[in-house]
Amino acid sequence: MINALSRYTILFTLTLLVLALLSFSLIYMFPGDPLINLTGLVPQNDIQREALIKQFKLDQPYPIQFYHYLQQLFSGNWGYSFISGESLRDEIGIAMPATFELSTYAMVIAVIIGVPVGCYAGLRSYTASDYAINTASIFSYSFPVFWLALIFILFFSLDAGMVPLSGRISLLFEVPNKTGFILIDILLAEDINHSLALKDAIKHLILPTITIGLISTAAMIRITRRSVIDVVNSPYITAARSRGLSKRQIFMRHILRNALLPILPLMAIQVTTLITNAMIVETLFSWPGIGNWLINAINQRDYPALRIGMLAVSTMVITLTILIDFFNRLIDPSREKFERGTI
Amino acid sequence: MAQFSLYQEEFHPSPWQKTWREFRSSHIASLGLMILLFFLVFSLFAPIIAPYDPLQQNVNALFIPPSWNVNGTISHLFGTDALGRDLFSRIVYGCRVTLGSSILLVLVAMVVGVTIGTIAGMLEGVRSSVINHLLDALMAIPTLLIAIIIVAVLGTGLVNSMWAITLALTPQFVHHTRSFVRTEMKKEYVLASKLDGANHLQLFFYSILPNMIEMLVVQGTIALSIAVIDISALGFLNLGARPPVPELGAMLADGMDVAYVAPWTVALPGLTIFLIVLAINVVGDGLRSALRKRLTQ
Amino acid sequence: MLRVSRLLTAIIAWTTAIVLGGCSQGKPEDFYRSGIIYCSESNPINFNPQLDTSGTTSDASSHQIYGRLLDFNPDSGRIEASLANSWQVSEDGLTYEFQLRKGVTFHTTDYFTPTRTFNADDVIFSIDRWRLPSHPYHNVSGGRYAYFESLGIADNIQEVARLNSYRVRIKLINRDSSFLANLATDFSVILSEEYAKQLMQKGVPERIDHYPVGTGPFKFQSYRKDHYIRFKRHENYWRDTPRSERLIYDITPKSSLRLAKLITGECDAIAFPSQAEVEVIRQRDQLELAEKPGLNIGFWAFNTQKSPFNNPDVRRALAFAIDKNTLLETVYFDSAVRAKTLLPPASWAYQRDADDTAYNPVLARKLLNDAGVPEGFRMTIWAMPVERAYNPNAAKMAELMQRYLAEVGIKADIISYDWTTFRRHLRDGAHDSVLIGWSADSGDPDNFYRPLLSCGAIPSGTNRAMWCNSNYDRLINAALKTENIEQRKRIYQQVNRLLYEQLPLVPLAHAYRYQAYRSGLSGMSINPYGGINFAGVEKKL
Repeated sequence: MINALSRYTILFTLTLLVLALLSFSLIYMFPGDPLINLTGLVPQNDIQREALIKQFKLDQPYPIQFYHYLQQLFSGNWGYSFISGESLRDEIGIAMPATFELSTYAMVIAVIIGVPVGCYAGLRSYTASDYAINTASIFSYSFPVFWLALIFILFFSLDAGMVPLSGRISLLFEVPNKTGFILIDILLAEDINHSLALKDAIKHLILPTITIGLISTAAMIRITRRSVIDVVNSPYITAARSRGLSKRQIFMRHILRNALLPILPLMAIQVTTLITNAMIVETLFSWPGIGNWLINAINQRDYPALRIGMLAVSTMVITLTILIDFFNRLIDPSREKFERGTI
Repeated sequence: MAQFSLYQEEFHPSPWQKTWREFRSSHIASLGLMILLFFLVFSLFAPIIAPYDPLQQNVNALFIPPSWNVNGTISHLFGTDALGRDLFSRIVYGCRVTLGSSILLVLVAMVVGVTIGTIAGMLEGVRSSVINHLLDALMAIPTLLIAIIIVAVLGTGLVNSMWAITLALTPQFVHHTRSFVRTEMKKEYVLASKLDGANHLQLFFYSILPNMIEMLVVQGTIALSIAVIDISALGFLNLGARPPVPELGAMLADGMDVAYVAPWTVALPGLTIFLIVLAINVVGDGLRSALRKRLTQ
Repeated sequence: MLRVSRLLTAIIAWTTAIVLGGCSQGKPEDFYRSGIIYCSESNPINFNPQLDTSGTTSDASSHQIYGRLLDFNPDSGRIEASLANSWQVSEDGLTYEFQLRKGVTFHTTDYFTPTRTFNADDVIFSIDRWRLPSHPYHNVSGGRYAYFESLGIADNIQEVARLNSYRVRIKLINRDSSFLANLATDFSVILSEEYAKQLMQKGVPERIDHYPVGTGPFKFQSYRKDHYIRFKRHENYWRDTPRSERLIYDITPKSSLRLAKLITGECDAIAFPSQAEVEVIRQRDQLELAEKPGLNIGFWAFNTQKSPFNNPDVRRALAFAIDKNTLLETVYFDSAVRAKTLLPPASWAYQRDADDTAYNPVLARKLLNDAGVPEGFRMTIWAMPVERAYNPNAAKMAELMQRYLAEVGIKADIISYDWTTFRRHLRDGAHDSVLIGWSADSGDPDNFYRPLLSCGAIPSGTNRAMWCNSNYDRLINAALKTENIEQRKRIYQQVNRLLYEQLPLVPLAHAYRYQAYRSGLSGMSINPYGGINFAGVEKKL
């Protein structure tokens, strides 16, 4: 346990260090002035420039620069956007939770629908209903997410007019950003009509969540189904059956637990897909998340923002995957290694 | 010529043949393979199949609806786009660009990944463990992010987006190769070769690689479906192929500007991407279950 | 464990109370009617139109936040009183006296509370800021006043003097028949001198352009890049109180998404509907479309400081290589007039029989050969990333031109960045050629000729061709020296001839201006002389 914990901590720190190094090297790899790429501040004259170079230790050798860069990162001084002049930390602090929120809801949908349906298909493997589920899931899994989003917008927003297509909430509501999660922020906000705002926010959530959720659900179904089939075919289930346990008992006691275990590491892969999809979908639904923010940053060639955005997103994804792996390791110590599977 | 056989001959199909039989017995998988082959033919023979030059603009034929529409003409099967370019020709070439470049980059990722993976798998100790763990962790970085960084450093373009996706796919091959090599190295047949005095290189080429091909094919189909989706997503986000290159995702993004006037310019490229990915997934799925059946027999 | 569950119960109870209790807080329809959402196309650079000629910046600030001394009547185009009650011009046309309106209040916001109403100090501050390089505010936020620099107005003003609190006198050095018109443009806004003083004391003068204070119908509330700008009604606006309590700009760069939002009702009005979508808007019952011939010009400018584009023959050759009529059909969907010169037909100085380049690829290739431009020569076409009335889809136009240029053996690469970045690089002269245009701010012809091609307009970044010709400058200066319309017309005809010979830019089209909005919105109109104005707009449905 302690051993595992320390191994994961070392792995985590090492990975973050590599990422930080990468983002540091971007300062020099991006076109333009390293000083601007690092700070986002545009010096007005040479004196100011000298002072800034001194302040950010850009006149020192690279290792010292990197050390100073790490210090700055830890003290929360992430630089400023080259375009808007806003503090990048504040901007990421607003954008990141929005993406996280969207991905979480999609993941919840994927688990709530995907796991039971996958179990059902797995238990009835190679029957008509299994084929139907399998076909449906392989279809939804093959959708390019941006096209799916467009189709949904066309049918549900433009034709049926059921749900809005952009943003998190009608801009008429002024919801102060406290936690970054819109639903919680609405409850914390003071002088607004809460029920109206909640209704509005949920309507805005529906389309993006379903778009990402559908693809993740399909993946979840396939993972669960495979896992359940593997367990059902294993000798200990045959043994349990021969002991005369009821189907229900077998399912609850043996299959479910053992089938869900291998799903966890597979979910780690799903996190990456999920967040990528969320980032793409954000640009279509004008969702104010990190994907939208990064795409705007690349279109605006906002190098300081890209540098820190890359670090923030990869840190988030890697933290999540490593956490899932660690959790998996805790509940199933027999898996000695960091393992990955396929869908 | 029919021959009379007196003795019942014993026939042992090779593992490949067994898998192929299993695969063919699934109608869905065969259908998927046919569709995939169909798209491959499109990509290979694009200049012969496409009735028009995909870049040829025709001002007298703007926004012609597809031929099944009342206002469509048979001379433009899928209609034309905002610049009067023939959509069918563009989609045929689009398959070539999107599918072709995906196959290419998957092959590159495979070769690089297998090389690194084999070295890591044959190595022992701390070095290999550090490489592996780092690679595994870095594998989690989304392709989109890598692509954005590459675009920022090198600029937009189809080739740059291909680099990004190759970079994102390679760790998967490294990972699978490594664990495969690890387990195979412990098996008796490898030990036998070792005792025969085979060196690492010979071990790899004569013992391990032949066994690995199935795994590579399966991984390849997974990687291919990811690659197609990613390359078109990058094109769609204007981070990949630049107009007028007929890349399916970029075409879709192009069509969005006129989505209300000419919805087919959005629908058809999207449908093509979907079908390509679907076909690849179905084939991959069929391959995997065929393999599984062969192994459990 | 118990504590957690108790906490959970509390949260659930609280949430239900809010959700159920919320129903009594007035009808939802009233709430949704209380504000206007306008889907704009891009981010403003700041909230001071003095500093930027981009329509995005002035749309977001000029008529919303600020007032001007004079205004154009949107129907007749005549200059009328605004913050100045009345004005007098001396016989020699050099001295202008303005009587200012009394009791005009500035915005009270979170960051500023005015103690006095508008007076002469504000006028002097606002003009001196861009006029005098020695002014403490001159260098704040970059110190570039593109519009005024491009017209060279600052050098022509001798003094701006305060006669009393409500009377200001401006003396010019040379006669300028377009001076009053310039004071009525989107860029000649009146800032608060009191606010500026306060900021200077606090040591944060640059805030004046990002947290603006003005006398306009709406006061600035908040701005988030790429997402929104929020305004609130200015309750004490000196004209009729604005109808709408709130005004929100929803920044949506993709024109197809803007239309989608208009259809779903998430926007009440949208900026620059694409010409391709105009028919769609006309067909929908709940959408309205206003259209007017615009005072604008879309053109293709060459960077005349780069070889081989410094050679007029090369420029002419390239102009011969493209077919303007095709561009009109495919990009503007025939909602534009072919441009021969810089001036649109609506201008009084429009020259009907001006020379125009015709499509002639053979001649083009020959000229290129003579000029020593080889087959396979590579050049860049910069296509602006936003839609404008004068060019609704520059990327598409660039693709069309790519084909035309290929026919004469020239390989064109299309370059596009985000709007802000795009214009920054343009100003540095990184382009070979660019597809862009100009919307006039006043009906005066000088408003086209001077900012677009005069030498003085190069540093200010409106002269995209970076072209400087002393003969041209002499002619357009001469045109301003006279009030005689016929004489001015004759001078502009000479200018047109010169432009046809030199061709620093290829005029392409004068396009219609469209404004799309939902039928529930009343009071929307197109102001041909500048940005959008929401003061009288109200949501009814």
